[in-house]
Amino acid sequence: METLGPSYNAVVTVTRERAMEQARKAEDEVLSGTYRGPLHGIPYGAKDLLATSGGIPTTWGAAPFRDQTFDFDATVIRKLESAGAVLASKLAMIELAGGGGYRQPNASFTGPPRNPWNIGYWTGGSSSGSGAAVSAGLVPFAIGSETWGSILSPANNCGVAGLRPTYGRVSRHGAMALSWTLDKLGPLCLTADDCGLVLEAIAGPDPKDPSTTQRPFKYNPEPDRKDFKLALIKDGAEGLDEEVLANFEDSLRVLKRVATIEEVELPDLPYGAVTRTILNAESANAFEGLIESGRMSELTASEDHYGLYARTAVLARDYLKALRLRGVIAEKADEVMSQYDAVTAPARRSSASPIDQEFRRVTPGTMRDVMGALGNGAGLPSIAIPNGFTEIGLPTGIQFMGRAYEENSVLSVACAYQSMTDWHKHHPPDLLRAE
Amino acid sequence: MIPLIIMDNRDAKKEVELLFEFVRDLYGDRLTDEELEEVRNGVEHIAETAAALRSIKLENSVEPFSVFKPHRKEA
Repeated sequence: METLGPSYNAVVTVTRERAMEQARKAEDEVLSGTYRGPLHGIPYGAKDLLATSGGIPTTWGAAPFRDQTFDFDATVIRKLESAGAVLASKLAMIELAGGGGYRQPNASFTGPPRNPWNIGYWTGGSSSGSGAAVSAGLVPFAIGSETWGSILSPANNCGVAGLRPTYGRVSRHGAMALSWTLDKLGPLCLTADDCGLVLEAIAGPDPKDPSTTQRPFKYNPEPDRKDFKLALIKDGAEGLDEEVLANFEDSLRVLKRVATIEEVELPDLPYGAVTRTILNAESANAFEGLIESGRMSELTASEDHYGLYARTAVLARDYLKALRLRGVIAEKADEVMSQYDAVTAPARRSSASPIDQEFRRVTPGTMRDVMGALGNGAGLPSIAIPNGFTEIGLPTGIQFMGRAYEENSVLSVACAYQSMTDWHKHHPPDLLRAE
Repeated sequence: MIPLIIMDNRDAKKEVELLFEFVRDLYGDRLTDEELEEVRNGVEHIAETAAALRSIKLENSVEPFSVFKPHRKEA
């Protein structure tokens, strides 16, 4: 992390002292016969929006908070410590998890996050360092967060697995709030199977986060099934990058060995408008203090200097209408999704964009992300895993989105896909040459 | 759900102007002319998004999809 991390602008703080302490403890425990499970002694990185005690900064990726510290650990950090995992680093992220409305990769005070597959390209965001660090082999797994796209995007761009759990599956206590009713925490790993193991360690009810579900989660995949039922959203391929579409079609051919695939039509509802309005209203309120302080001008991306001001103009009537429509969407979507193990689609509509360009200009269909709007608005789980490469060697991904609390279903499909393919076994060529 | 009457263009423009003036009145002194123009674009987008929501009528019984639980600290 100290050697390669700066090449990718992936690491904010190497938590050396805490890591060594936790590693020694894990070693002692294992040697004395106390085994805490599959994460015992395994190092990991945490997106730098998760509170950590002991004087370790928690910067939210933003210059105004670069010296911020907390005197407690986020619940996720605490749960991973109980599982024996070793906190090795706080990982870079887009400032305020993209709350300022950024349009370019250069939106972190630690520099633009660079993609291990080609440092001239972006990692995706906002869990940028989490994607890069796993892809580059700096840590075996990382924790990211998603409000709308922030786990799936870096998983896609960096060629790793990223799991967005059901809203409320993982406690948000101690995580920076961007949007209280949309924020989710989840793992980024090399495989879907690893995502399941990490999710089991971090899931569970937490009195400090009233939105957490009482439903237990036990990772229990069924990758050997040959009777998966998958759905494709009608017209979902419109506007896709050609290479993304080609790789997706190849993936469908592979999946047909173990699944039936049907096209479904979603009810005609304003998915994007609902999720966007909730995000706009809640983020403007979550960062009210920053807005009023005038310190947004200290943020890195110039568009983040003013992005939140417009969001203060969301009217209460529209926010409430979005919350009412969200219930309708959740109900209607569940009626469709209950018939399938997962809905599948490309993880993103394109591969990584160049590091020096506004991604909203070069990424087709960025504003028409129905899977993202529906999945995040209704709080549904989804996993993105690699499914090929573009001509210039950038990864592309496929996603599987399930019903609420059906992480095991989407993980099972993803594990089955990875048992039939080897895209997840490819690693950035520069790293292999370095060996 | 019943489609509702969408505001006509003139009303929509007026709403954007009112909302933009509200934001400019609060924060305009911190922003350059170029940034204010971007804020206006942002407000326009918010108004367009709101129009999509308002175009759908919901029955009175459809509640916001959020749960409020009265709090009581147990001894």
